[in-house]
Amino acid sequence: MTSMTPGTAEFLLAFADDEHLMGQQHTEWIGVAPFLEEDMAFASIAQDELSHAALLYAIVADNGQGSPPDDRAIDALAFDRSAADYRSAQIVEVACTGWAHALVRHWLYDTAEELRWSLVEDSGLEPLKDAAAHAAREERFHVRHADGLIDVLLQAPDSADRLADAVRDLLPLATGLFDPAPGEAEAIEAGIASAPFDTVLPEWTDRVRARFPDIDIGTISAPAFASRTQRHGDFPALLARMNRVRGLDPTAVW
Amino acid sequence: MRTYEIFLKRDGQEEYRHAGSIDAPDDELALLLARENYLRRAEGDLLWMVDRQHLLIGDRDFVAPNSDKPHRDNDGLLVAAHRKSQRESR
Repeated sequence: MTSMTPGTAEFLLAFADDEHLMGQQHTEWIGVAPFLEEDMAFASIAQDELSHAALLYAIVADNGQGSPPDDRAIDALAFDRSAADYRSAQIVEVACTGWAHALVRHWLYDTAEELRWSLVEDSGLEPLKDAAAHAAREERFHVRHADGLIDVLLQAPDSADRLADAVRDLLPLATGLFDPAPGEAEAIEAGIASAPFDTVLPEWTDRVRARFPDIDIGTISAPAFASRTQRHGDFPALLARMNRVRGLDPTAVW
Repeated sequence: MRTYEIFLKRDGQEEYRHAGSIDAPDDELALLLARENYLRRAEGDLLWMVDRQHLLIGDRDFVAPNSDKPHRDNDGLLVAAHRKSQRESR
């Protein structure tokens, strides 16, 4: 079994943190999504993302040995690190208080995520390869779900305007997903991933343009700053919400 | 929004059973929302959905006449009793 270098662990943590925070953000729509069926569906999709995060944290926690998941070790990685140690992209940290923004982020993120898993589908790290197969089965439905809603909403002028605003607001942050995670080069060297994430940026960009053909989104390029080591201003409040209940009794078994 | 009725079936088991209904703006979203609302705990292996406006509905007035025809409920008790009395009288 392949053992992991610290760089590979960092690389996987970046992926896990994105999945974790994206799942958390989606779950916060439970009870307030635009209609009951969507309320449930969005939270259900959120749980899928959280389960992907758990799979990735578990790999880091046991150094890729594939042993049964240790919930406490997963929680320690997911919740107990300091803000500076998270490796998430700012698109999953920013608060989206409107449904149009939440939906556009769902589409932008899942379209990128689908491509991201494809880069580890032949990973030399067996548990990661298994996780990629598991996630790929779910991601096609996530993207279809986001597409289905956007298809309907783009037909209504008012909704289309809101989506356009959301796309323009969120694109700069979304490109930060492709910002190389610390350790990425090491992970590729070790056969953990097949190529840098930003090699699929042009493919993602094509999909964005095809999805929103009427929106002038200008040039899409990778961000110039190291977004994964800088937390978004909305992050502290998000982390506090995530830990509010857990903090009542850190020793509780869930 | 349209309303859809959802039927689920497990492989190798029984028939399609009505699981509930959902509202959705079109067929594609209806399928996807049904998947996340009714199949998220592997409640079935196969799914039928029908737009409620495509259902053929027999209302109460249409169905009711069949409730007052006891001659269609032959449980065989009278025949059994007759045969028994024939045997015993031999």
